[in-house]
Amino acid sequence: MSLPPETIPAQAENLPTILVWLIKAGLIYGGLLGTAALMTLAERKISAWIQYRIGPNRVGPWGLLQPLADGVKFIFKEELVPDGANRLMFRLSPMLSAIPAMMAVAVIPFAGKVEIAGYDLGQLSIAKLEISVLYVLALTGLGIYGVILGGWSSNSKYSLLGGLRATAQMVSYELTLLLAVLAAVLLSGSLDLETIGLSQGTNPLGWNFVRQPLAFLLFVIATFAETNRHPFDFAECEPELVGGFHTEYSSMKFALFFLGEYCAMIVMACLTTTFFLGGYQVPFWAGAPWFIQLGAFAAKAGIFLFLFLWVRWTLPRFRYDQLMSLGWNTMLPLALFNLFATGALVAMGWSSWWMLPILVLCLVPTAWILTTRGSKRDAAASDAASFANSPLGRSVTGLLSLAIPAAIWIAAQEGTTPW
Amino acid sequence: MVIVKRKQLSLFERLYLPEIFRGLGVTMRAIFRRKITRQYPEEPLVTNAVTRGQPRLVVNEDDTIRCVSCGLCEIACPAYAITIDGQETERFIEREPERFDIDMLRCILCGFCEEACPKDAILMSNELELADTSRQALIYDIEKLKRPVSSLQDRLDYVYKLNNRWQNSSSTS
Repeated sequence: MSLPPETIPAQAENLPTILVWLIKAGLIYGGLLGTAALMTLAERKISAWIQYRIGPNRVGPWGLLQPLADGVKFIFKEELVPDGANRLMFRLSPMLSAIPAMMAVAVIPFAGKVEIAGYDLGQLSIAKLEISVLYVLALTGLGIYGVILGGWSSNSKYSLLGGLRATAQMVSYELTLLLAVLAAVLLSGSLDLETIGLSQGTNPLGWNFVRQPLAFLLFVIATFAETNRHPFDFAECEPELVGGFHTEYSSMKFALFFLGEYCAMIVMACLTTTFFLGGYQVPFWAGAPWFIQLGAFAAKAGIFLFLFLWVRWTLPRFRYDQLMSLGWNTMLPLALFNLFATGALVAMGWSSWWMLPILVLCLVPTAWILTTRGSKRDAAASDAASFANSPLGRSVTGLLSLAIPAAIWIAAQEGTTPW
Repeated sequence: MVIVKRKQLSLFERLYLPEIFRGLGVTMRAIFRRKITRQYPEEPLVTNAVTRGQPRLVVNEDDTIRCVSCGLCEIACPAYAITIDGQETERFIEREPERFDIDMLRCILCGFCEEACPKDAILMSNELELADTSRQALIYDIEKLKRPVSSLQDRLDYVYKLNNRWQNSSSTS
């Protein structure tokens, strides 16, 4: 079976295709694994800073060789397989956890046309798929199999409970994730990651995190759940489940689980960048050279990688019922509403700038009604009044009262309006 | 029975996200705060006369040991860490230790030996580091415990000050 011509990456003028692929794969996978290794260091450093500590600084300058030292330690550790474990699945599941996360990186566009020493290498992504959104989401969904099978095959109740929790959590939050992505897909009218990124233009105010604020928020929250990070790390939940799904794992198998987790975080940061922060576009510079585009992409993705660490060391873990309630009662209805509103705007051909006013006008009264049922109404009214008089409340209402007319004005400038 | 009254959360707190951002602000400020870690081997612990480190034997200026091997510290030691064998000497004090061992693995740094000593011969030094590769090496003998009086003068002065304070305040009895 041969691929249709448009799915083959743009070929170089004067380099063999196989060499181009090798160069790109080396660049992207080297970058991915290097970033994953640095993330383990960054996690320890940032956790240390937040706790007024310094963090690892003994191995190499600023502890930069710490990941290497960790790797060496992992390799020399004894590898245990517990009694009664399903040996095949036990060996397989770390790979099942790490490989999908790494595969998902293949279609993410990191920069536009790459030219090195006069050679044209085409777009900086390993493969160019028309349906790369589907591919990425399918693979990130597959990543959970490693956790479930690892938990089940360990023959340990802690591991099993961790795996089960991860399953339930993944089912609940993947829906929100997909619905939030669909809003971005609807706006650009394409399932290709690069088209979605480029369709947002070079003006940061036109990027999807402004035009789709609710979808952006939901997507970011869902990525935390999807990668089993705090405050959604029910799969490993140390105080309750010892280590969760990886309780019985040791040596490189344990390291592979963590490699998978960090790769998944990197993939999710890249996806957030592509869907909501204009992909690799440099603000106000359409024809930027590829390495500046790559730097812009890395900077944007770096914000979200930092957010992963930052949130982990700020928030306590949810309770299980809170997790389910948040997922099904709050995030799913919001995502459905957001998708419906976006779909209506796209179907009527109206400007996507209407999203912000619509969201505020629909959600604030709804939230008011839902949170102030019955006898709570008077208390809520006084709460709202005191909030409106607080400095934070003033700034929020001030910002909204500026942003909503601005959004309406911009929408009116773009031509198609509801009237 | 205790009835716990839960705080009634305000509407804004129940929306949850604003409070998350407040928490993120707290941790972000913490990142830029001054770090309190002490880089241990390079920056040793600050010690002074009050530091109650490992016990050491005082050696006079003329290289004679102060200890008269009376055995009071051996009796006072709650951890049975001290072992003393005495012998006669030509000096005025007539007795000196032949063997004075402190098992540093048993020593709990309580300072009772220092309090018990009538001759100010055993004092708590400011030496805190205790690491070796065998248990035997950590049973310190008399040669390892000897310190010149000059290096323990601060502690000596402090102990005298402490004792005077108790004398002055004992008027109620």
